[in-house]
Amino acid sequence: MLIDTVIFLPLVTALALLLIPRSSTAALKGTALVGAVATFALSLTFLTLDPNVAADQSVPWISGTWLASYHVRVDSLRLFFVILTTLVSAACIWAAFSYAQIERLRGYLFLILAFETTLLGLFTAADLLLFYIYWDLMLIPVFLLLTGYSGTQAARRAAWSYLIYNGAGGLVLLLGIVALVTQTHSFEVSGIQLTLTPQVEGWIFAAFALAFLIKTPVFPFHSWMPPTYTYAPSPVVALVSGVQSKAGLFGLLAFALPVFPRAAQVWAPALLVLAVASILYGAMTAIGERDTKTLVAFSSLSHLGLVWLALFAFDITSVSASILMVVSHGLIAAALFLLLGFIEQRVGTRDLGQFNGLSLRAPRLAVFMLIAAMAALGLPGLSGFAGEFLILIGSWQTQPLYTSLALISVVLACVYMLVLFQGTMHGPERLPKPVASLELRPREMWLVAPLLAAIIFLGVWPGWLNDRTPAALAWLRDGSSANVVAQIYLRASGITSARVNSHRHVSLRAARKISIGPSIEQARPLHGELR
Amino acid sequence: MTAFGISISWTVLAPIVTLSIGGLLIMIVDLLSRRASRALLYGIGVLSCAAAFATLLPLFGQSITTLGGAFVSDKFSWTFDGILLLTLAMTFLLSSLRRAEDGGSPGSYAALLIFCTIGGIVMAGANNLIIIFLGIEQLSLALYVLAGTGFPREASQEAALKYVLLGSLASGFLIFGSALLYGSAGSVGLPALASAASNPTGLFVAGFALFLVGLAFKLALVPFHTWVPDVYEGSPLAVTGFMSVAVKVAAFSILARIVYQVLGHDSVALIPLWVLAILSMLVGNLGAIPQKNLKRLLGFSSIAQAGYIVVALAGVGHSGLSTMLFYLVAYAFTTLGAFAVMALLGDGDDSYAQLDAYRGLHLRRPWPAAAMALFFFSLAGIPATAGFYGKILLLQQAFSGGAWGLAMAVALVAGTLVSFYVYGKVVWDMYSSAEGEAAQPTGNSLAPWIAVAAGAVGTLVFGILPQAFYASQPFLSAGAK
Repeated sequence: MLIDTVIFLPLVTALALLLIPRSSTAALKGTALVGAVATFALSLTFLTLDPNVAADQSVPWISGTWLASYHVRVDSLRLFFVILTTLVSAACIWAAFSYAQIERLRGYLFLILAFETTLLGLFTAADLLLFYIYWDLMLIPVFLLLTGYSGTQAARRAAWSYLIYNGAGGLVLLLGIVALVTQTHSFEVSGIQLTLTPQVEGWIFAAFALAFLIKTPVFPFHSWMPPTYTYAPSPVVALVSGVQSKAGLFGLLAFALPVFPRAAQVWAPALLVLAVASILYGAMTAIGERDTKTLVAFSSLSHLGLVWLALFAFDITSVSASILMVVSHGLIAAALFLLLGFIEQRVGTRDLGQFNGLSLRAPRLAVFMLIAAMAALGLPGLSGFAGEFLILIGSWQTQPLYTSLALISVVLACVYMLVLFQGTMHGPERLPKPVASLELRPREMWLVAPLLAAIIFLGVWPGWLNDRTPAALAWLRDGSSANVVAQIYLRASGITSARVNSHRHVSLRAARKISIGPSIEQARPLHGELR
Repeated sequence: MTAFGISISWTVLAPIVTLSIGGLLIMIVDLLSRRASRALLYGIGVLSCAAAFATLLPLFGQSITTLGGAFVSDKFSWTFDGILLLTLAMTFLLSSLRRAEDGGSPGSYAALLIFCTIGGIVMAGANNLIIIFLGIEQLSLALYVLAGTGFPREASQEAALKYVLLGSLASGFLIFGSALLYGSAGSVGLPALASAASNPTGLFVAGFALFLVGLAFKLALVPFHTWVPDVYEGSPLAVTGFMSVAVKVAAFSILARIVYQVLGHDSVALIPLWVLAILSMLVGNLGAIPQKNLKRLLGFSSIAQAGYIVVALAGVGHSGLSTMLFYLVAYAFTTLGAFAVMALLGDGDDSYAQLDAYRGLHLRRPWPAAAMALFFFSLAGIPATAGFYGKILLLQQAFSGGAWGLAMAVALVAGTLVSFYVYGKVVWDMYSSAEGEAAQPTGNSLAPWIAVAAGAVGTLVFGILPQAFYASQPFLSAGAK
């Protein structure tokens, strides 16, 4: 019940907005913000749940041709996706106040809140049908936000590439889901034993993976992303890049990898190549970008490529760190896009060559920007570092070649993030037109501050998040559902013990435990060695 | 009772008789009182729909053959009849705004709609080739006239003429094919054809091919679809809505009977049908892209939807049939809902048939705009609408249909992707543009609102709780596993 409340509270708030006249903007803003913040507060109560026990709620829905149920779940994996969504959404809704024309504010807030509900529904879905429904429904609010509320011709073109690209991904996913369900006769796929031939399983997994590659996106399926991220209004981009881009990664972690361990293994080499290509291509393109939002868009491509690398390295450290990275990237991308949006509103351009030196008159803006940029660059003490470091350590165990290639991006990240920060903040003040006030307004500070606070918190104490996640990754060790991956994991642990002498006994103990039987606690020692 | 040596079960024929009485009553009332209001005549029409539905209820789940095996009432026909009656009732609701300057008296218009539906019901229960042809001709002849009832407009005359000429040609194919089939089987009864189909002769194949061409014309499958855009555009709005649903439902009832009772869903003879379906899905959606007129756009859309529905037949009998029925119900609610919105906005005329009229609609008429968006989402197969669940079911059927099934699944997905653009463009027009004219003068008639609401409720209920459909059709879910 609590889960449903969290999922649908934004939608109920959105519907409530329709009862308020268009002209009373204060009431509209107040209602939307209260709804979003209340959703965030409610979602925090999930933290009190025991990380080893999933909170489930299941109602039979469809029977006959196949079984489906309205099955929502909050476990230690979904927990963080949900909280990320509610936090970023609250910030974006608050930020949206200054983006909409007055007469269109209601529709704008309505769509963002509806978007939040589809995201929350997706991240709590434990049934494939439910997952797909939210997956596809998400297209509508984003499409309408891009066409109707951004005004520019470029944004409308971006809307089409967004819709067609993601629609195609969704349909491929639908093909995969129906092909799977034709075999299983049930949309409840977690924990089932598949009786597919390897070939069929491979193709179904490929369908899932393609949809997720497009949604994330990963090179070369990213061509919808730069225009969407660049031309959409900042609060929308913050939500799309901060939260929606994690939908595919969530799909991998919650459905594709646990259900198709063998096929994931078969496709892993190809996906690893794409991941590394994404990491390097994104980083190198970002260096040459002059448009601030496009630059961050390509840096997203690079950072999320790292998450794909982490997942398909099949190492327990990298896989569980991928969740930390997902949350961290969500916070950083949202903060960066929101701040760049504020800058664009003031300066009137996104072109790095057109302005300099904002820090002179806007020190607080500069500090906020600095924290976000440093986090994206991977400065220790901020969340970006924690995620990247654990991923690189973990994937090094199984994929040393790809990991060393990915390491290059750490250097490149320094380049493009410093270019971004120095280009906007440092140097003598130069503006395309005179601007009265550059400094962040209190509202803008308060809405970005929680994101930055979370970035610092996770940077200082990554274990807070990382210790909870192994419970959700039972598939990585659980012999019944993922034999192959378990073997890979054992092998990886062996490598760990051989190469990292100082941790030898720890890793061997871990490996031995795993071979005896699956348990939630097993991954702990490995994390212990890393902290 | 028995007449002319043939036993007649009046319970089976009751829906037809009831509708006929309703139609005749409308003609008599129209004749006696020249000033009978449209509301009265259409009211009689809706009531006779309800009465026919009441006589249909006792037949639920039964399987009765009458007229010497020529006509049956079974699980097969029951739901088809229900959809046809629903279509008729909704058409009356959205006809209530018809302009006085449209040709034809309201009485003859209403009576023709009813007789047309009777043709459809005859088709749904037809168990031999002669009855099939009778049903098709009754449906078609009434529709030829209805297409022309907008006759002060030239487009309507053109539509009627095109429809008559091409429709007669198709009927020719159909009757010639029937004759050959009769020659090969020695009987016009479908059971006899089934035994002939198990060992097909050249005569049978030729007859079936011609029969299929005739049926494909009625279904508007590519390449027998060329009449659709012009006829849909020219016909009066309500007639187009009725045509796009009733003709398809009735023709699919025959196709389903042929596929499942005569040939078997894996028959080689059906390969041409799969090819037609693939072509329809692609051409229908691609053809909709450049359309500037919503009626034409929905015409192309109906071509694609017919292609989708054929996919249901690729699956094994029971689940294939239930999938087809589900999709037809979804299609009926959605399409009639869209036409009802058009009628509501245009106050009964075609002023909202042009896509330009929809620009910025959400500011002027938020509720009709939202309803239209919902119907378009359903046609595109966006989740939480009936069209979405229908598409999932179709894909499942396709996967159980071997190589041709897979090819159709791919075509279905490709066509759907194109349709995202087609429908997305209209939704974009409605929601993106800020330009809004002054609110149009609106008729305060309740009837089209009821039709819009019925369409929206049907689209949403069957989309969110598809189980509701199976609950009303227990026999469909029972053996579906």
